[in-house]
Amino acid sequence: MSVQDQPLWAVGWEKRGVLKANNYNPNLVAPPELELLKLSILESGWTQPIVALEDGEIVDGFHRWTVAEDPEVAALTGGLVPVVRLRGVTREHQIAATIRHNRARGVHAVLKMADIVSMLIDEHGVAPERVEAMLGMDFEEVDRLSDASGMPARAGAGEFGKGWTPDV
Amino acid sequence: MTEATEVNPFYRTIKPTGNYDVRETEEDVLTLARARAREAFRQFDTIAVMFSGGKDSTCVLHVALETAEEVGRLPLKVCFYDEEAIPYQTEEYVREVAGWPGVDLEWWCLPVKHRNACSRRSPWWYPWAPEAEPLWVRPLPPEAITPEDAPWCDWSPGARLDTVTATPLRFDPETFGSVGLMMGIRAQESLRRRRVLSRTSAENYVQGGFRNVRNVYPIYDWRTTDVWAAPRKFGWSYNRAYDAMDKAGMAPHSQRCSPAFGEEPLERFWTYQCCFPEIWGKMTARVPGAAAAGRYARTELWGYGGLPPKREGETWMEFVRRMVEKWDEPERSVIAARIKQMIGQHYRKTSDPILSTAMHPFTGVSWTYLARLAFRGDLKGRKTPNMGHGHDDRAWKKYRELLAVEGRRGGQT
Repeated sequence: MSVQDQPLWAVGWEKRGVLKANNYNPNLVAPPELELLKLSILESGWTQPIVALEDGEIVDGFHRWTVAEDPEVAALTGGLVPVVRLRGVTREHQIAATIRHNRARGVHAVLKMADIVSMLIDEHGVAPERVEAMLGMDFEEVDRLSDASGMPARAGAGEFGKGWTPDV
Repeated sequence: MTEATEVNPFYRTIKPTGNYDVRETEEDVLTLARARAREAFRQFDTIAVMFSGGKDSTCVLHVALETAEEVGRLPLKVCFYDEEAIPYQTEEYVREVAGWPGVDLEWWCLPVKHRNACSRRSPWWYPWAPEAEPLWVRPLPPEAITPEDAPWCDWSPGARLDTVTATPLRFDPETFGSVGLMMGIRAQESLRRRRVLSRTSAENYVQGGFRNVRNVYPIYDWRTTDVWAAPRKFGWSYNRAYDAMDKAGMAPHSQRCSPAFGEEPLERFWTYQCCFPEIWGKMTARVPGAAAAGRYARTELWGYGGLPPKREGETWMEFVRRMVEKWDEPERSVIAARIKQMIGQHYRKTSDPILSTAMHPFTGVSWTYLARLAFRGDLKGRKTPNMGHGHDDRAWKKYRELLAVEGRRGGQT
């Protein structure tokens, strides 16, 4: 095996229309994340190809393929999308490959995310609204992540409430 | 949502049947908790605080410590069950507390029996079990009291007890006399706890226990806002695990720092993944079913929200039986008995049929409720049907409307 044998060696630019969705993909992307994906491609450009079979059926990258339809994204490349092909793959290996591409992924640790959001706001002077747009977060998420006040201030009442006893 | 629950005390929004009425006091909850603690020190030869590192037992600890000093009963015994799969923030906080003057803390790393709702094949798990040492989620803390140092119980596999049964055995009557175990249990936490705490008149906060040992609940009437008011007002330190849970978007009243392997806690299981990733990574290898539960605990696979579909032509009774049969013995018999008991309880109270989805306003039982119980298991007998809607017109309307459709044979088909 050498790098020439890797699918990425032969990445090609093809018309979006030659690819087609598969009928089993369980991965759902909510509209805000789809927007974020679009922003990611517009800002960083195409960094990851779509993975497809020889007949054009998509194995991974269905959502990149979806946002490529957007006029702004399409204008970047004249409607072409980067594609790598998997060859000689059986149906069960194709399905397993789709699942692996999606599942082999981590979850963002919340305290590290909090550090990052605070750093962007405090050290880099990015406005919270800009952070929302850049990271695909809503107001609530940026607010919670950037709040260093701690739980007593966030959840504690200023005074104690009245108690109660059984009424017998 | 949260705000509404916090502002309206539970007992005003949901009025249960007469037996559980409560009366608001003139004093605030802190004054009352101090009075209850004083009374407990007067009544018991030994007071021990069951400390979890969580927000509720932190309040109990402060109240107890202050009272112990006042009545000259320092040092205060504090017992901590380290449940192994706990956030490092909890470990750090407990270590800090252990160093406070006047605190005599026992750090228990013992294989007590805990529910594991992640898996039907392994429905129990045992933190710090010696046989699982290579898989332990955290390194054993240096302060740990391990089975060799804890002769009060038989810790061999097969003989292990749950915490409720094991804890009183620590306190033999010869050494400790009468013992009050102070705990941070609060009525606001669940309907079941509220019922227990509203039941008796005098000293409803001293209950249960075994032999010479009884449980004391000095903060039973505190609300979540009160629990956080204390560190806010007095500048107490607290377990930083709560900050992580808050940032992850959990409401204050759902935040727990104990491991979420039980039936109800499983719904917040996913939060471990983003709040405590280094614990999560080890948990998936340690506790059978944890990885799958992390992905799917909030889906119908784990009976959350929905249930697997009832088959064509299957009666509700058959459906419930099929759910029960997914379990192995001995759990299968426990769950079957629990369901039988609930059906019996229903028909002792009423001759009305059990319907498919609408609960009976007196008994709280419906077939869906029983099926969910069978599916998820209720091995600790904790799930309480939503009784006490006997005067709730809306509940009756729903029941009657469905009765008209399903008839006296009540959703049998």
